[in-house]
Amino acid sequence: MIVAERKPIDEIIEFMRDCKKILLVGCNECVTVCYAGGKKEVEILASALKMAFMKEGKELEVEEVTLERQCDHEYLEEIRKIIDEYDAVVSLACGVGVQFMAEKYFRTPVFPGVNTLFMGVTEERGVWAERCQGCGKCILGETAGICPVSRCAKRLLNGPCGGSTKGKCEINKELDCAWQLIIDRLKELGMLEDYEKLIPIKDWSTERAGGPRKVVREDLKQ
Amino acid sequence: MVVGGGIGGIQAALDLADSGFYVYLVEKSSSIGGRMSQLDKTFPTNDCSMCILSPKLVECGRHLNIEILTLSEIGSITGEEGNFQVRLVQQPRYIDMSKCIACGTCAEKCPRKVADEYNMGLVNRRAAYIRYPQAVPLKYLIDKERCIYFEKGKCRACEKFCPADAVDFDQGERQITIDVGGIILASGFEPYSPALSDTYQYGRFPNVVTSLEFERILSASGPYQGHLVRPSDEREPKKIAWIQCVGSRNVHVGDRGYCSGVCCTYAIKQAIVAKEHSAAPLDTAIFYIDIRTHGKDFEKFFNRARDEVGVRFIKSRINTILPGYDEGNLKIRYTDEGGRIVQEDFDTVVLSVGLDIPQESIHLAQKIGVELNHYHFVSTSSFEPVRTTRPGILVCGAFQGPKDIPETVMQASAAAGAASSLLSRERYALTREKEYPEEVDITGQEPRIGVFVCHCGINIGGVVNVPEVTDHASRLPHVVVAEENLFTCSEDSQVKIKEKIHEHQLNRVVVASCSVRTHEPLFQDTIREAGLNTYLFSMANIRDQDSWVHQSDKESATEKAKDLVRMAVANAAELSSLYRTKLPVTKRAVVIGGGIAGMTAALNVAGEGFEVVLVEREKELGGFATNIHRTLQGDDVGQYVAHLVEMVNQDEKIDVLTEALVADFSGTKGNFKTALVVGPSMYSRDVNHGALIIATGAAEYKPEEYLYGEHDAVTTQVGLEDMLLKEPERVKEWKNVVMIQCVGSRNDTNPNCSRVCCQQAIKNAISVKETNPDLNLFVLHRDIRTYGFAEDFYREAREMGIHFLRYREDEKPVVGQEDGRIHVTFKDLTLGREMTINPDQVILSTGVVGGDAEELANIVKVPLTSEGFFLEAHVKLRPVDTQSDGIFICGMAHSPKRIDESISQALAASARACRLLSQDSIEVGGVVARVDQELCAACLICVRACPYEVPFINEDGVSEIDISKCQGCGVCAAECPAKAITLSHFGDTQILAQIDALMEAR
Amino acid sequence: MRLTYPDSIRIIRLPCTGKVDVILMMEAFRKGADGVYVVGCLEGECHYLTGNLRAKKKVEYTKKLLDEIGVGGERLEMYNIAASDGPRFAEVAKEMHEKIKALGPSPIRGALQNKEAA
Repeated sequence: MIVAERKPIDEIIEFMRDCKKILLVGCNECVTVCYAGGKKEVEILASALKMAFMKEGKELEVEEVTLERQCDHEYLEEIRKIIDEYDAVVSLACGVGVQFMAEKYFRTPVFPGVNTLFMGVTEERGVWAERCQGCGKCILGETAGICPVSRCAKRLLNGPCGGSTKGKCEINKELDCAWQLIIDRLKELGMLEDYEKLIPIKDWSTERAGGPRKVVREDLKQ
Repeated sequence: MVVGGGIGGIQAALDLADSGFYVYLVEKSSSIGGRMSQLDKTFPTNDCSMCILSPKLVECGRHLNIEILTLSEIGSITGEEGNFQVRLVQQPRYIDMSKCIACGTCAEKCPRKVADEYNMGLVNRRAAYIRYPQAVPLKYLIDKERCIYFEKGKCRACEKFCPADAVDFDQGERQITIDVGGIILASGFEPYSPALSDTYQYGRFPNVVTSLEFERILSASGPYQGHLVRPSDEREPKKIAWIQCVGSRNVHVGDRGYCSGVCCTYAIKQAIVAKEHSAAPLDTAIFYIDIRTHGKDFEKFFNRARDEVGVRFIKSRINTILPGYDEGNLKIRYTDEGGRIVQEDFDTVVLSVGLDIPQESIHLAQKIGVELNHYHFVSTSSFEPVRTTRPGILVCGAFQGPKDIPETVMQASAAAGAASSLLSRERYALTREKEYPEEVDITGQEPRIGVFVCHCGINIGGVVNVPEVTDHASRLPHVVVAEENLFTCSEDSQVKIKEKIHEHQLNRVVVASCSVRTHEPLFQDTIREAGLNTYLFSMANIRDQDSWVHQSDKESATEKAKDLVRMAVANAAELSSLYRTKLPVTKRAVVIGGGIAGMTAALNVAGEGFEVVLVEREKELGGFATNIHRTLQGDDVGQYVAHLVEMVNQDEKIDVLTEALVADFSGTKGNFKTALVVGPSMYSRDVNHGALIIATGAAEYKPEEYLYGEHDAVTTQVGLEDMLLKEPERVKEWKNVVMIQCVGSRNDTNPNCSRVCCQQAIKNAISVKETNPDLNLFVLHRDIRTYGFAEDFYREAREMGIHFLRYREDEKPVVGQEDGRIHVTFKDLTLGREMTINPDQVILSTGVVGGDAEELANIVKVPLTSEGFFLEAHVKLRPVDTQSDGIFICGMAHSPKRIDESISQALAASARACRLLSQDSIEVGGVVARVDQELCAACLICVRACPYEVPFINEDGVSEIDISKCQGCGVCAAECPAKAITLSHFGDTQILAQIDALMEAR
Repeated sequence: MRLTYPDSIRIIRLPCTGKVDVILMMEAFRKGADGVYVVGCLEGECHYLTGNLRAKKKVEYTKKLLDEIGVGGERLEMYNIAASDGPRFAEVAKEMHEKIKALGPSPIRGALQNKEAA
């Protein structure tokens, strides 16, 4: 899932400074699961914003809606009829949703309610961690299912750097060295000889370096 | 048939009726409730007595399978166990119960004033009357002995004015014969009458009152509406004295030799409550012989009274009361601890009178062939505490021996258990089932709310302006009708609520009165009888949360009451109907602990026809009782335990698992699952069961003081008992022996009294003295607590020449040794100087401490007290239930107790368990979490958050909650980030509505 | 026990403090409460096992939120009191009452009153 976290309220208030009436839009997908932008967070943010304005002697009308997803036209269309009633929209979806909303409702200012961080997992209740950077060319088959692109601070592809000590990363002592993990797992799988295998240089053109990417499925496309 | 409608009779009747038996509840007076209905507060929690009793009265009154026969006494009993014919004699009420609407006109119009027995004669009532406002059945009666018409042949004012045409002077005595299978005697006690003795000047000085009179004086429904004044001049007293042991612990003519057991604690309660009631500082002094606060947490209550509340405790037996210096005052002469004679004047003197057996009960016993002991209490044995000498007739409560409310309730359940095991084959043969009217479907209806505001006598009405609150309620949105009641919990109020529901087509009801804890079920049932779903009800607690705690500011209390009512109304408007579904009950019990309590419970549950798995941690059954050889009365404990073990092993329905431990526990009442680890091989076994009885016992305190373990001549009572049995010749060589009481009890680490050690010490002391009459035996104690009939043995011990010497808590005896010889030094309080004894043996009376139950408590989720005993659901009225439905406690796991008391409680626990197991199904649902699967993001947060592991992601990929397992805590609802889960009845809508309603006035 | 405590307090009953949610506490302040406190069972003695521990964390989170928007997290507290401990309940009520009195009316209530006046 895409992991995000709530933006500091100050920042959101700053966006709203001259607004009288706004719409908070939550998303019932990833940001719900990572507790950043689901229906519940929308409700809390609404309450907080109203209070913050009241305290300044101002009034802010806040309405709330949570869409199934903000990365699909059909769901975003659900607010078409009401969108013009608002001075601005705060989307609590990930950056994708915020942008798609802004594209769709060109005349309405759309602000982000969360900071979008990464694609990751729920390691435990309340803890989310990065696992994928969307490089476009998956090498997990060669690296024992552990991704050095997302989990090695230096994105090294040919083994650990000299800074790896006692299995930890030199950038952050809390962090496991991805290559240590890879080697450990290969060992466990009895595939350590694969570590010595030469693999071709990674094709980075599928990564963001080649500009914004797109997937087209002709068989599905209209 | 249950004879006696006090709290004991009520409990026994309810237990039996709920277990599938039809019960006749026979009461001599015009209404049930007994002595408890006259009490103001109950110790040690100071709960309002009427408030906790009233729901039980109503439950009894409206129970389909309890037939209350008032004004009735037993004429004769023929037949035998399983098939008795009881002839009852019922006195006329002179008012037709089917017509009386309890409007009170007859009493209002009745010209004859007579002393009101309910208020102990402190005020008058009329000859047409009800005993008290919450009386069940709530039907007036005419007192033939005092009625002018019956005396002079004319008057009949009541008949003339009765709007219901209910007065019927032609009624006569009726003879009724009823066939019953078993009989429980629960006819209770009467307070000892101090008029029998001239010592206390009772009846001569109006300000000398009995403790029951004082209860009425303190009571809000009493003669002075709860204002603390004395009878002679209705002036507020500044000094009150209590004299203990009036009519108890005394063998003079007219007195009673036993200890009544309850008077010390009730005197402490009265002193605390009196101080609370008094506007000016009140001085309270309790004159006592020994303070006997041996019940669960009573010692802490005593300590609080002495150290925090400032009640004075003076150890002195009072033998004269003289007129005081000021008019109406009383002079008491006593010897203080320093031996000086002191004279003190008091405004009021309260006589702490003991519990006595009424003459009628003695006659009854004679008539029906039930043997009484030398004090006229029903004779029972240590091992069969609820069986009388006539088979099929059982006994409970004060008729069996002096006891307090929880002991009575326990024993009542025990008698019910014994009765239902006698009659288990006839279960459900005669019972009727309640039918409710079809429920009104309120979907789509606008809320129509009725609000009922309670005065609770003066409990609320004395502080809160109830008419103002009612008026406020009537103006709130959706409120169609708002009314006030004197007692909303009374039976006539239930009728009124139902009428209003029909009259105004109400679809929600709000009651503003007391606590949901005690009264919600009653009102819910009432609205259900009127066709409303039970959940369309909301309550505002304007008593416990308002009038009781903001007494000094009536205006602000009234404002708060308005807020609370407004919140309840807003909540009600948001409520919707909830439905419950039926689940089958697994008809098996698990009993944990194979001591006397556990074995007794197991045998009784099996006797009632259910399977039992008995789990014992040790290799052998028997528990702590294997250390005890005989009881104070001389019964052979070892033989009895062996007998129990044999019975348990032979019972086909009991599966005994020794060396077994509970590893895991889950489920809800009716359907539990316990995972056990059994035997040396530690194999695991899962048991499905419907009820759980905890009988894990307690532990003996292992002393670290008084050279225990360091010197051979220091042992415990258990050690001595063993010695007496196995090496009596050793005892014969002793010249001096010292026993030290309260070792490991009544101190900072274990503040409670261990209850049994005094009796154990006296039992062994008598035995030692009998074995070796020439030795000197000194018992160093703080108070000798031989409650009940055990007092006889204390007296015997003193007569045998055993020396009882007191020591103070802060001047404990010192045990030392010199050249291997032991010596005990202590301060003799009579001589006021230090004494030293060189005994051959020192015996420590070690206390009882909680067994290592923490792990089990955590697994089964039943809290422990700070001393490590399991906590009951309510100290007074639910002494064997726990907060978790379907889990019961008995024996020493609950608190220290004697063998007969453990057996009683075990029978009670088994009766409560069988009450549940006898149901074919139980209802689940109601307040549970529900998932709106449309909204669910399948995020797993509920799955992770639920403490009971109930939610799961189903085949459709959304969360699902099994309502039979859901406990209704609401954690999942609070955590769900998609707001897909709602806790019904406590949803955000309902809570936010209350917040809105509360704040709108600001 | 009928121990007197300040009459500024109104109780909203929940089955368990585990049901307490950020939004409920926030809304109480938004509607003008000067202070809010959550009272649960003693830690380790929650009738529903862990509800009070969940509540504690939610209270901490909400305090931070209140600080962020300038209402003041110190107006919100969590207490653990045994069900049998009436004296402690009254003591806590007094403590909270005194604390809120010292802090004065919440800025939100001030704003609400100004709005009313206008």
